[in-house]
Order: sequence, then structure tokens, then C-alpha cells
Amino acid sequence: MSGHTEILSLRSVGHSFGGFSVLKNVNFSVPHGSIVGLIGPNGSGKTTLFNVISGYIRHQHGLVAYDGHNMQAESIQARSSAGLVRTFQTPKVFEQMTVLENIMAGACKLTRSGVIEDIFSLPRSRADMRRIFELAEEACLKFGMEKLRHDLALRLPAGQRRVLEIARAVIGRPRLLMLDEPSSGLNTNEIASLRRWIEQLRAEGIAILLVSHDMELMTVADCVHVLYFGEIIASGGMDEIQKNTQVREVYLGA
Amino acid sequence: MKASRSLVILLSIAVCVALPPFLPRHFVDLLVFAGIYTVAGLGVGLLLGQCGIANLGQIVFYAIGAYATAYLTVYVQAPAMVGFVVGMLISAALALTIGWPILRLTGYFLALATLAMGIVANALFFEWDWLTGGTLGIGGIPKLQIFSFVLDTPLRFYYLVLGVVAICLLLAHNLIRSRTGLALRAMRDSQDAAISLAVNPRALRTRIFILSALLGSVAGSLFAHYGGFANVQSFGIEKSINFLLIPVLGGATSLIGVVVGALFIAVVPELLSQFGGLHQILFGVALIGVVVLMPAGLTGALAEVWRRSAEGARP
Amino acid sequence: MNVGLLAQSLLAGITNGLTYALIGIGLAAIFKGSRVPNAMQGEFSVVGAIVVVLLLTGHGWPYWLAILCGGLSGAILGAFIEVAFIRYMIRNAAPEDSYLLLTIGIGLSISAAVLYFFGRESHLLPGFGSDNLYIILDAVVREHVIWLIAISILLTIGLRQFYRTTSVGLKMMAASIDPVGAASIGIDVTLMRTFTFMLGGALGAAAGILITPIIPVDYMIGLQLTLKGFAAAILGGLTNPLGAAIGGLVLGIIEAMAIVGVSSSYKDVITFSLLILIMIAMPQGLLGRAGRTGG
Repeated sequence: MSGHTEILSLRSVGHSFGGFSVLKNVNFSVPHGSIVGLIGPNGSGKTTLFNVISGYIRHQHGLVAYDGHNMQAESIQARSSAGLVRTFQTPKVFEQMTVLENIMAGACKLTRSGVIEDIFSLPRSRADMRRIFELAEEACLKFGMEKLRHDLALRLPAGQRRVLEIARAVIGRPRLLMLDEPSSGLNTNEIASLRRWIEQLRAEGIAILLVSHDMELMTVADCVHVLYFGEIIASGGMDEIQKNTQVREVYLGA
Repeated sequence: MKASRSLVILLSIAVCVALPPFLPRHFVDLLVFAGIYTVAGLGVGLLLGQCGIANLGQIVFYAIGAYATAYLTVYVQAPAMVGFVVGMLISAALALTIGWPILRLTGYFLALATLAMGIVANALFFEWDWLTGGTLGIGGIPKLQIFSFVLDTPLRFYYLVLGVVAICLLLAHNLIRSRTGLALRAMRDSQDAAISLAVNPRALRTRIFILSALLGSVAGSLFAHYGGFANVQSFGIEKSINFLLIPVLGGATSLIGVVVGALFIAVVPELLSQFGGLHQILFGVALIGVVVLMPAGLTGALAEVWRRSAEGARP
Repeated sequence: MNVGLLAQSLLAGITNGLTYALIGIGLAAIFKGSRVPNAMQGEFSVVGAIVVVLLLTGHGWPYWLAILCGGLSGAILGAFIEVAFIRYMIRNAAPEDSYLLLTIGIGLSISAAVLYFFGRESHLLPGFGSDNLYIILDAVVREHVIWLIAISILLTIGLRQFYRTTSVGLKMMAASIDPVGAASIGIDVTLMRTFTFMLGGALGAAAGILITPIIPVDYMIGLQLTLKGFAAAILGGLTNPLGAAIGGLVLGIIEAMAIVGVSSSYKDVITFSLLILIMIAMPQGLLGRAGRTGG
């Protein structure tokens, strides 16, 4: 770990699509090992912000610093290798692969064997594969998917797809995990276990940036920012946010 | 299940080794072609089954292998190995230079780009007769020999091809089961998600494209030695389409599927030829039937039947 | 190089280009309406032309009636393909690539059937109108070429108007842009797809009938035409029939210039290399806009 207190910090981040600003002067940070929530009505720019931080969109203004490094020029892959990993609003699982293989794919970045080593099944390739396999088996247990591990991801219900996506992200040892609407499509029980996992991941030292509409789940966050038309209009604990009159007006609809 | 699978594989190997001496020469000849097509089709199959890329340009590398062998063994009188190696080097270099730009494309556009590549190459092979002999081609390519054992009958050549096929399948099997295989399939199923897991699609696809080109080139060199000639008519668009059909017919995601597809392409037209001129129509119709009725190819359909009967057998 | 030669080759380029355009328009119409990359579009042309040859020279029908039946045969074949195969495959959520392979298979079958029933020989049709020759800018022009140019342009404009003004055309557009939305307002999406294939088939047959007085039809020409049509359609962005028309024209002219400037034997090398370059450099086609994900 470096000396920075924040794993992620955004300074005056702005972005516009064809003249329409979707992000305006966004400032916030995620301290190491904390959970930061991001809420806001649909179209407020949450997904764009996720895309900016994970590198799917190159932002136009401001600074995105991860672990003290400017991320502007870094590819998605470089960010992911550095431990900045995201999930997607609609889970993107590898449908024609089994659950276990999906999770294994998440661990590929922990190993280094190349195509030629793999073709000739050289020792490093075999060792890598063993390691990936063991990690994935462990993750399967941890996320309660051991019974499903040989099923094609295609056959999983929506809730399990979310869990699989999170398991796949977590196995790659993220330092900042970005979860985009992880609770949508999950039933009450599943949300409860999702919450436990989030808390456990924090206990393991992983910082989490959480986007969700689920106010109940949001109470897990140490700090919540409210995004409205590309701007942060309020920040604080969930109880504070719920009392904030401006937030109630624009978002909670009260 | 696992034990029965190894049993099936062992049995197939036994049949492949033991049966051909008892087959008519003509049929062994077809099996040699099936073997050569397996090698070329395996490259296309890896691209299709593992990367989701439909490559309609495999003929380019097949032809390069064949011409490298033909030119070097006939005009330079180099040893056969030189032909194989030079063909592979040229193919790899070309696959890198063409693959890197065109692998940015996806879906049908990529398929069409590879098709266009095949057309350009075919026209060039036709025109560059100083190198390729044009329509006359290059004849008199020497038979392969291993030490002093000359592979001058279909049966002798068959065993060489069988060995090459076995090695290629084994290596492909290693690849599919490795972390590269995982990354490839991840990328095929969802590129966005694969990128988020630090997979670099273009670099990886280019590598597999090169690998596929190498297989095409080896198959082409084998073809040149076996037939004793290489001419431009053997390297038309139709052949490229056939190479793509191999994994499609057999089932692109399984290696056995490639073998089955190659057998289909090599043997079925011959079997149908007893119907005279009708056989090409029947072949086309058979192809339509497989595509429409068996989306996972012949082996996929068989596996489905197997699975269903296994489920049905259970109480 | 003299003006006559240049004009002559330019004219040849335009003539060829317009046929590529017609094949490309049919391809683009089908791709737009069904997302099927039709690798047998050239076979529509072969079937259309062969039907006309049969009726005209075999049965002595009047030319105009034979042409009508030729066009109709393309439409019927298109409808058959949609009803017999595409519909079934869509219902079973067939993988993306299988549509390309299906049409390749159909193309092979038709080409083989033409070989089987009609043999290897090639057939020419008589030119439309009279056999008069005209001189334009030192170039000699057959009357048929003028007909071809006029009819191609009419068909292109007609198609555009069809999509924009007629009720069926608008429904077909809607069904292709948003199938779910279209179905919810009562459009029969499946039927529209059948119409799309009929339209594509008829356009393909029309292209075949128009060129057969210039280029003889045989069992092998379908694939060649399809390839040129694809090139035209891709230049135009694949989902835009008007773009395909321009793409075809550009392609034909480039080809003609390549013949004059380099050598006729390198024309495919030049056109298809250029095609690859354009696909890489201008992913949206010459007219831009529509996405190039394609699959």
C-alpha cells in the first residue's frame, strides 16, 4: 500500500457528449478500505462516471487519480491489472462458459503464462492453471456457488448472474471494486447476503464504490454522494442524506 | 463419464491406426485429405470456436505453405523441412501484418475482410506466375521422406498426416484448457467484461490468427508434397469456404468436431458422387440441413442426443 | 491516353458499378430488414436471368413477360428462403454466424443446381430496346447500357420512395429498426421480414436480368456478383440501400480506372484491397453514421 489515504480521488471531473455535459466538476474520493455510495436519479451520470473511472470513456476535464497515479492515459486493462475492477449494470457473464470457468477467467490476470507456453503446456502454464483453478474453487465456495459450478452461465437466473459477476471481479484481487446496481434483480435474501459480502470484502481491505437505487443497501456505505444532472449536490452518511431537503426534492420525490 | 471419454479417444486412435491398411487405396487417399483439412480447419476452428471469428481467408496461408514448399523443393531443391519452415514464417509474418489492422473489425465485417483478403491473394497467385507458375502451377514436388523411407503411397503418407493431426490436436487441446483459452472464450462471450478483467482482445486475437495461419501453412505444405503439384485452381474462394465449413459442420467449440467436419468435407462429396452431377446439390443441401437443424454442429447434435438418452435412462 | 478510351472505360465502370449497386442494394435491404448478411444475393441474379433465358429462348414467351416472371422468381425464392429457413432459425435463436453460413449453403446449392440442370455453358440475353449504338464523348454505347443506367437509377429512387412513403415500406422500416416496438403497435414483424426477402430477391433478379445482355450468366457467376455486391454494400455502410448504390458506383469506377491505369488482371486486387482499407479506415462506410459492429 502506498502512503495515500485515498485509493481513488476525482478532482473537477467533467465530460460532455456532443455539447451536453453529463458530468460537471465532480469531486470526491474513496478512502482505502471504505465503502462509498453513489446515488442519483436515472440519467444523472452515474454510469458515465463509472465508465470514466474504469476507463471505458476517456474523460475530458479534471483528474482521476487511482492510488496516487493519474489514470487519464491508462487503458481499461491497465486499470484492471492495478486492481481497479468494475461490474456492469446488466451483468455481463460469459454465457457459453461454466460458472467455474467464468470465475477462473477473472483470475487470469494474476498469472503471466503466454500463448506459446500454453500451447506446449510448459510448467509455468500448468502451474498458473492450477493456481487459477484453486482460487476459483475457493471463490465458488465463498460465494455459495459450488453446486452450480459446472452449469453454463447462460442458465443462471438474474440474481446468480450478479453474484457470479462479483465473484469473478473479486477473485482478481481488486483494491477498488466498483459495483453498478448490484442489487437489482436480487430477492430480499440475496440482497441480505450481498450486503454481508460487501461488508466482508471491506473487512478484507477492499474499497468499494457502490451505485444503487436500493436505499436500504446504501446504508452499508460510509459516505454517500448524490449525483444530479452530472453534479454532486450532497454528500454524507445515508441518514444525513435522507434528511437533506434538496435531495428529497430532486431524488426521493418528497 | 471421464473414463468413458478416454476410452472413446483410445478406441478412435486404435481405429485410426489399425484400420487404414485394410481400406481400399482410394479411401485412404480421402483420409489423407481429411487429415490435411483437419489441420487447416483446426486453425479456422480455433478462431471460430474460441474467438468467435469467422475466417474466410484460410486459403491464403494454405496456398503460401503449398507454394513455399513447391518453389523451394522444386526450383531451389531445398530439403522439405525448409519448405515447411519458410511457409510458416511467411504465413506468420503476413498474419501479423494483416491481422493487426483487420482484427479491429468484428462480426460479419471481419468475415468479409478475410474473404476479401482471400480474393486478393488468389488474384496475386494467378498473376505472379514467375513465383507460382500461374494456372500451370508447379509440378514435380518430391515425395516426402523420413530418413530413407519414402512416403510414396497414400497409406505411408496417411501415417505422417495422422501424426501431424494428433500433435496439432494435442497442442490445441493444451491451448483451450489454458489461461489463454479462458481469456479467448471470455472475450468471445463478452468483450466488455473480458476487458474489465484485463484481457487484451486485439493482441490475443492477433496471436490466435497467427497460430491459425501457421496451421494453414503446414496443411498447405503437406498438400503440396502429397499431390506433387501446386496450382492456383486449388486455392480458390470455394476452398476457403470449405475450410470454414469444417468447424461449422463438426461443431466449432470441440476439437473432435473439427475432425468430424474435415471427414465430412473430404468424404461426403465422394460418397455422394455416385449420384453423378447431383452430388454437389446434395452437398449444399446437407450443409443447409446441418446449419439449420444442428446449430452446434454434428458433434454438438450427437452430444445432445447422448445427454438426452442419459437423462432419459435415469429414473 | 485519349478521351475516347477514358470515356469508354468510365462508361464501362458506371455500367458495372450500377449492377454492383443493384446487388448491393438488395443485400443492404435484406441486411437492414433482417440482419442476415445474404451471401447468396448473386444467386438471385442467376436465377432471375436463367428464368428469363428459359422462358424467352426455350418457350418463346414475349421478352417483357419473361422479364416479369424473372423478377417474380427472385421474389418467390426470397420468400421461400425466409419462410423455410430464416424464420425457423430466428425462432430457435440460432447463433449469429449461422445466417452467413446458411446463405453460403443456399448459394452453393443453387449454383450446383444450375450446373446440374443447365450445364456449364453461359447464356446471353438480347439487349433491351434496339441494338442501336450511340456515340457519347467518343465512346461507343449500346442502347441496352442506356436502359440499364436508367432502370438502375429508377429502381434506386423507387426503393427510397417505397421505404419513405408507402405504408408497407414504412412498416418494414419500423420492423427493422425496433422489432419489439413495431410488434407492439400491431405490425407483423415476421411478415415484414418475408417482404424484405421478397424485395431483396426481386432486386437481385432485376440486377441479373439487366446485366445478362452484357455479361453472360453461368452457374459460377453468382458468387462473383455477391462479392462485388458485398463490397458495394460495405462501402455504403451495409444498412443503407442508397449508400450501397453509391458504393457500387464508386467500386465500378475504381475498377474501370484500375483497368486503364494498371492492368485488367489486377482489378480485383485493387478493388478488394481498397475495400479492406476502407473498412478499416472508414468503419461507417462512405456515407458515415450507422455503426459497424455488424455481428
